[in-house]
Amino acid sequence: MADWEEIKRLAADFQKVQLTSTTQKLSERNCVEIVSWLIEKKLIDLMFTSDGKEYLTPSQLVTDIQNELHSNGGRINLTELAKIIGVDYAHINSHLHEVLKRRKDIHFVLGQLIDSTYITKIAGEINEKLQQQGQINVGELTIFYDVPSDFLQQQVLEKNLGTLIFAQQDKSDPKTFFTENFIARSKAKMRGSLSGITRPTPVISILNQIGVNEKLFFTLFEQVAMYGSLTSKLPGAQYVPNAYSRSQTEWVTNFYRQNSYLEFDALVRIGISDYKTYLKRLFGNDNLLFLSSCVVAKNILDRVEADIDECISSKGYVDLQNSLPSVFTSKDINLIVERLLVGPKQQQVVLIDDLVFSKGFMNKLSNLCEETVRNNANLIVESGKYQQYIVDSQGNQSKTQKYDEAEEKVDKREERRKKASGGKSGGGTQGRETKTKSTKKHIRGGHRNDIEDEPTASQSKRELIIVSSDEVKELIVGLLEEEDVDHLLDQIAQYLLPKLNEQGHQIAAEIFKTKIADQTANRRKTHADHQDKLNELICEIRLFTKGIKLFNGDTQVQLNKYLLKTTCSDILTEILNYISLESGLNTSTDNFNNEQRLKFINELPSEYRVPLQPLVKALSGQNIDDFTSTLETAMSSCSMIVKKIDKKKDRLIVLNYKHKLLEELALCEDLAVVLHLAVLVIFISATQCMLNASGRHVSSILSFLKQFLSEDQFSELTSYYDFVTLMLSNGSEAENAREKLKEKMQTVKNLASEYKLSSHEKTV
Amino acid sequence: MVDESTRKTLSNIPLLRTKAGPRDKELWVERLKEEYQSLIKYVQNNKDADNDWFRLESNKEGTKWFGKCWFFHDQLKYEFDVEFDIPVTYPTTAPEIALPELDGKTAKMYRGGKICLSDHFKPLWARNVPKFGIGHAMALGLGPWLAVEIPDLIAKGVIHYKEKVENT
Repeated sequence: MADWEEIKRLAADFQKVQLTSTTQKLSERNCVEIVSWLIEKKLIDLMFTSDGKEYLTPSQLVTDIQNELHSNGGRINLTELAKIIGVDYAHINSHLHEVLKRRKDIHFVLGQLIDSTYITKIAGEINEKLQQQGQINVGELTIFYDVPSDFLQQQVLEKNLGTLIFAQQDKSDPKTFFTENFIARSKAKMRGSLSGITRPTPVISILNQIGVNEKLFFTLFEQVAMYGSLTSKLPGAQYVPNAYSRSQTEWVTNFYRQNSYLEFDALVRIGISDYKTYLKRLFGNDNLLFLSSCVVAKNILDRVEADIDECISSKGYVDLQNSLPSVFTSKDINLIVERLLVGPKQQQVVLIDDLVFSKGFMNKLSNLCEETVRNNANLIVESGKYQQYIVDSQGNQSKTQKYDEAEEKVDKREERRKKASGGKSGGGTQGRETKTKSTKKHIRGGHRNDIEDEPTASQSKRELIIVSSDEVKELIVGLLEEEDVDHLLDQIAQYLLPKLNEQGHQIAAEIFKTKIADQTANRRKTHADHQDKLNELICEIRLFTKGIKLFNGDTQVQLNKYLLKTTCSDILTEILNYISLESGLNTSTDNFNNEQRLKFINELPSEYRVPLQPLVKALSGQNIDDFTSTLETAMSSCSMIVKKIDKKKDRLIVLNYKHKLLEELALCEDLAVVLHLAVLVIFISATQCMLNASGRHVSSILSFLKQFLSEDQFSELTSYYDFVTLMLSNGSEAENAREKLKEKMQTVKNLASEYKLSSHEKTV
Repeated sequence: MVDESTRKTLSNIPLLRTKAGPRDKELWVERLKEEYQSLIKYVQNNKDADNDWFRLESNKEGTKWFGKCWFFHDQLKYEFDVEFDIPVTYPTTAPEIALPELDGKTAKMYRGGKICLSDHFKPLWARNVPKFGIGHAMALGLGPWLAVEIPDLIAKGVIHYKEKVENT
C-alpha cells in the first residue's frame, strides 16, 4: 500500500500548498483597485486611456499631444489625436489650453491644432502657386487647405507677406493677392483690348475676351483708360470708346443742324440712352423743346406758329403733319400746339387729329347746320319733348338741391358738436375724437358721392339731343370733301355736336318761352270768357226764378226742378269744363250725367273737390237757392267772381230773350213747339219775367196766363193746346188734329207776336 | 467558448494520463496521485497569480471532496462551502460540483445545490477524458459559474456580505 502512502503524502502536500500564504504580489486587479481608490481620494491626477487599461498623467498627455502634432507635420485633428494617443476626446479638450499656453506657435483652428512649421510650409506653397498663377484668392485657398479664411488671411498670408509670400494685396479686396507681374500683364491686355474696340461694348464681353477679373478691371481701368470711358462702375457697365462718342456727337450735331429736330429713337439707336441730359449737355437748354418722341429747335416751332397764324387769318385749316417732319407723332404735335397756342390764339383754333382748324372754318361748318338745328329745336318744342326734359332736369335739380341742404345741415350740426366737445375735453381726448370723426365723415362723404353719381348718369342719359351726329355729318360732309378733309368727318362732327346741341337748346328755350307766353295769355282769356258766360247763366237763373215765383204750388216745384236740370246743369258743366282745361285733363264734360260728374269731381284735387261736391248735391235737390249759394264758393275756387246784380241789364236780357224766342217762333214749323214758344213769349210779355219751362208745363202756364188774355185769345190757345195733346196722343184723331193745327199755327204765331203789343198797351 | 483567461488557466493545469475510477483499485491510486499533483500545480499557479479562490480536501479514499471557495466583488469577499463526490464512472463522467448554501437561490442550479454547468462543459470534458481531472472541473466549471452568478445574485440582493467571513 505504498501507493496509498504516497496519496496521503500528496494530500498533505496539497493542503500545505493551499495553506501557504499567497505570494505578496499586487495582482493587476489590486493595482486597479488601488489606483482607482487613489483617484477617488484625489491623491493623484490620472486619466484612463480609452480602452481603460492604462493611465496617463496630464503632463504626459501634453507631451504626447505635442509629439503627435510634430510627427503629423504640424497639423492634426483633435479626434484623430484622441485616437492616436488613446485617451478620451474630453481629456484632450481639457488639456488643450495647457498645450496652447506652453507653445505660443500652436494655433487651435476648427478642432485642429496647427503649429508654425505647418504655416511656414503652406506659406511656401502659396507663394509658389502665386508665382505660377499671378493672382490668388483667399477663398480658393480656403477650399484647398480646408482652413478658415480668417486664419489664412491673418496668420498665413498677411504675416508672411513680403517674407515668404512675394505679392501685393488688392487694396479694394483684401482677400485677393497678386504679383506685380500679373498686374502688368493684365494692364497690357486691357490696354490692347480697349484700344481695339471701336463701338460701345459691355464690360462683361471684354472681360470674357481678355480673361481679366472684373474687380481688377475696374481698379486698373483708371490707369489704362485713355481711349474711352465707362458708363458706370458696375458689372453691367458699358465701355464707350472715345472715338465712338466723338463720331456720335458729330452725327447728332450734324443731324440737328440740318433738320432742326432730333428723334429720341434715333439717339437710342446710336447708343445714347440718357438722351435728355445728353442733349442738354450738347446744345444747352435754350431753343430746345422736348416732346414725347423727339426734341425740336425753335425755328420749326416758328414755322408751325406761322402756319397756324395763316390758317387763322384765312379761316381755313392747316395739316401739321405736312408742315412737320414725318417722325413727329400726334402726341408731339399736340405738345407743340399746346406750347404755341397761348392766349387769344388758343380760342381761335381747334386741334383735331394733327389738323389745326381755325374757328372761322368751324363757324362755316356750324352755319351749315344752323337751319337744321332751328328746325329740330322747333320740332322738339312742338312735340313736347322739351317740356318733358325741362321738367325732368328741374326735378333732378331740386332733388340734388334738397340733398345738399340736408348735407349742409348735418355738417353744421357736426361742427357745432365738435366745437362743444373741443371746449369740454382736454387735448388728448380731442385728438382721438377728431380722428374717429374724420373717418365717419369720410364714409358719409363717399356715400354721398355714390348717390350723386347716379342722378348725373341718368341725367346725361336723359340729355336732350337736338341734332344727331349723323345729321351733322350729312350736313358738313360736302364742305369737308371740298376741303379734302372728309377723313376727319367723325371727329369734326363730334366737336361740333355739343356746340350745336347747345345752340339748339338755346333756340328751343327761346321758342318754348314765347310759346309759354302765348299760352298764358290764352288761358287768361278763356278764364274771362268762362266767367262771363257763367255770370250770364247766373243772371238767367235769377230771372227765371223770378218768373217761377209767379206760379204757386206744384207748378213752382216742377218748374224749379226743370230749371235745375237745364240751366244749372249747364253752369256746372261749364265749371267742370274749365277745371278740366285748367288741369290739362282734356276731358269733355258736356255729356256727363250726374254720376259721371260725381266721379270726375272725386278724382279732382281737394281744392276743387270740396266746394264742388255740395254743388252737385244741390243740383239733384229742388231748391234753386241752395244751388246759387253753393255756386258762389265753387266759383271762387276757380278764382271767378259772381258779378253784382245789375237791374238795368235785366230788362235788356229779358228783351233779348224774348226776341230770341220770337225769332225761333217765326222759324218754327213744329206744331207743338210753336205752342210752347208762343206761350213763353206771351208769358214774358205779360209778366216781364223770363220763364224756362218744358212742353209739359204748357197747360199750367196757360191756366196762369188766363188772367192776362182775352177770351178769344185764351180759347184759341186752349183749342190749339187740345189739338196738340190730341196729336201727341197718337189716337185716331191725330191726323185730323194735325190738319187743324197747321191751319191754326199761323194764328197762334200771330197771337204771340201781336200779344206783345196789346199787353204792352194794357200795362201802359 | 471559454473566455481567454479561462483557456490560459486551463492550459497551465497539468493533464492526467490514467483512466481509472474509484473501483479500479490499483489504477485509482495512480489516478488519485495524478489528481493531487495536478491540483497542487493549479493551486500554486493560482497563488502565484494572486488568484487563489478555493480550499479543497478529500476523504481517505479520495472519493468525496469538500472545502470552500470565495469570490471578490466590489472589494468584498463572498465565501461559500463547496462539495462533490467522485462518480463511479469517473473520469468518463465529470464530478457534479455543489454549493449547498445557494440551494434554491438561483435558477442555474439543480436540487442539492449542484451547479448547472455551461453547455460547453460537457462536450469539452467528454473530448478530454481521461486528460481532465478535478482541477479542470474546478477551473472550467465552478470558476466561470461563480464569475457569472455571484455578481448577479448580489445585485438581486439574494446574497449578503457576511462580516464574520475573514479574508485570508
